[in-house]
Amino acid sequence: MRLGWTSKTIILTIVVALIVGSIPLRERIRYQRLVLGIKRPMPLTKIVDFDPTALSGVMIGAILGGFREVAATMMWAKVHTLWNQEGTWYDCLYVMRSTTLLDPHWIEPWRVTAWHMAYNIYAETDDARQRAILLDKAISALKEGISWNPEETDLFIELAWTYFDKLDDYEQAAKWFRATLHMPHPAHIDRIIAHGYERLPDIPKALDWYDYCLKRDPNDDIARGATLTIRERYLPAWRLLEEGDYDGALSLIDQYLEVNPFGTIALHMRAHILEEAGRLEEAFATWQQAADKFALDDLARRKVAELGTILGKDVAPTATHLLRQASPEQMSPGRVFKEEK
Amino acid sequence: MSAIWRIAKATFHEALRRRFLNGILIFGILIIGSSWAFTYLQPGAELKMLIDIGLGAIRFFGMLIAIFVGVRLITDEVEKQTIHTLLAKPVTRAQFLLGKFFGGVATVFTNVALMGLAFVTVYMVKAPQLRELTSDQGPAISMEFMASNIIKAIGLTCFELLVLVAIAVVASTIFSWVMASIFSFFIYFVGQMADFLRELASPEHGADTASTIVFGILYRILPHFEIFDIRESILKDNFVPWSLLGNVTGQAIICVVIILMIGYLFFNEREV
Repeated sequence: MRLGWTSKTIILTIVVALIVGSIPLRERIRYQRLVLGIKRPMPLTKIVDFDPTALSGVMIGAILGGFREVAATMMWAKVHTLWNQEGTWYDCLYVMRSTTLLDPHWIEPWRVTAWHMAYNIYAETDDARQRAILLDKAISALKEGISWNPEETDLFIELAWTYFDKLDDYEQAAKWFRATLHMPHPAHIDRIIAHGYERLPDIPKALDWYDYCLKRDPNDDIARGATLTIRERYLPAWRLLEEGDYDGALSLIDQYLEVNPFGTIALHMRAHILEEAGRLEEAFATWQQAADKFALDDLARRKVAELGTILGKDVAPTATHLLRQASPEQMSPGRVFKEEK
Repeated sequence: MSAIWRIAKATFHEALRRRFLNGILIFGILIIGSSWAFTYLQPGAELKMLIDIGLGAIRFFGMLIAIFVGVRLITDEVEKQTIHTLLAKPVTRAQFLLGKFFGGVATVFTNVALMGLAFVTVYMVKAPQLRELTSDQGPAISMEFMASNIIKAIGLTCFELLVLVAIAVVASTIFSWVMASIFSFFIYFVGQMADFLRELASPEHGADTASTIVFGILYRILPHFEIFDIRESILKDNFVPWSLLGNVTGQAIICVVIILMIGYLFFNEREV
């Protein structure tokens, strides 16, 4: 028996009523999932950014729904293949990007992507601007990874270490290392913060942090040794610097440098005292001396570039110097991976 | 009621004899059973990988079974012309449709239960080992709610597939089984993107009036399949509240009722 128009109308009315009536329930579920952190990631900023790689990654991720993690794993396997081929490193970055979009809660792709940019691809170019872009992208990738995984200590440490080791930005490094302190973290993190302040140099802060290390673990011999060393070698000069007795401070540091001409921190401190005294030419020369002596002293090289610019000298720019000079438009976190090859 | 029961029972027994379904089921169980072997692909996240592959396989193969069972339930009867014999008896079209639907659902649930059993077995054996492996490399993984959340996830997959069977059955009352399969896959994948549709409809993200209307309607009428996925909670070991499960289950039942009513309207008009 076929249905009459009345029955059909009633059924259709019920259907419409059910659809409309279920809207609050849908919104309730959406809200619950959001609050409980169950909602799947939807990197909307990447859609707004009109980044084609990111957009297609988001689309594929959304379509794949429950299978996106498996797809991410397959893409990661592809990354390894591409990485081992010559000339496909930049292509590799795009695949890495898609992997992070498909499964933003997988830590490994964020870490490895940033590491490849800040270390491996970085080492392949001598162009300071290109290096600055790579460092900026590495930092942006790690910050984005942290935004997806704020409870993952590893990403905080990775980001802080990139600031420490590649950008010589010890203030930022300390900030991100400090963020791990409320989570389970390796014991050496506390000491790295102190060591960063030593190299900056900011002696009182370095001592504060070593003091914290000793309070946390009274048997921390490394922190004890460092405290004694700092107090003996650098603190007297720092006190004189604080009092404005630049010559006195320089005299103390120079005494130590006569004994140990390869003291990195002493050289940094000497240059810092000269900067504070306004003797920029001498500060420049001291930073230059440190840069020549120590192949890995990127802080000295950046300082040479910075002071060289101020003094109007013809010095080669460094990646970290360019990165600090860059405007937010040139180096914005939203533009990760968008730069041309 | 007895007519619906008899049709459902016959449909269930017939579906279990289908070789391709058994093939999908066996393949699914093999993938789930060997999921621990793929965990090396995500060093440091082996347990996550095990759960991803296990639950992902249940959903994926469950989806295939749901669609391929659903689309053949009515079209087979029409093609073989056995539907005439059935409808000539005192069986209404509504009873026939419901009987076929419940038979299909029973088949899918049985398959999901078997795959779920396989996964739970693998999980019970491998998870403690993988947890130990991961805790050697970093902080220990919390697993307080993990087992119960896995059971909840499998339960929600059943309700997801309930909606999908309804879509496939209804599609098969309108289209040929090939078209019905394509249609069901399409709805399933678009349903996974419901949140995406919502954002596309949002004027805050630059949608014009036409986009707001079109995507807004699609967002409201399409089933939201992503709500059945609670793997985030499993991996973070957060407790999944019963109120959420109740809401999602309720939403699935409402969806099924809507879909079956629409299907009934189409099936009622169809010449068989």
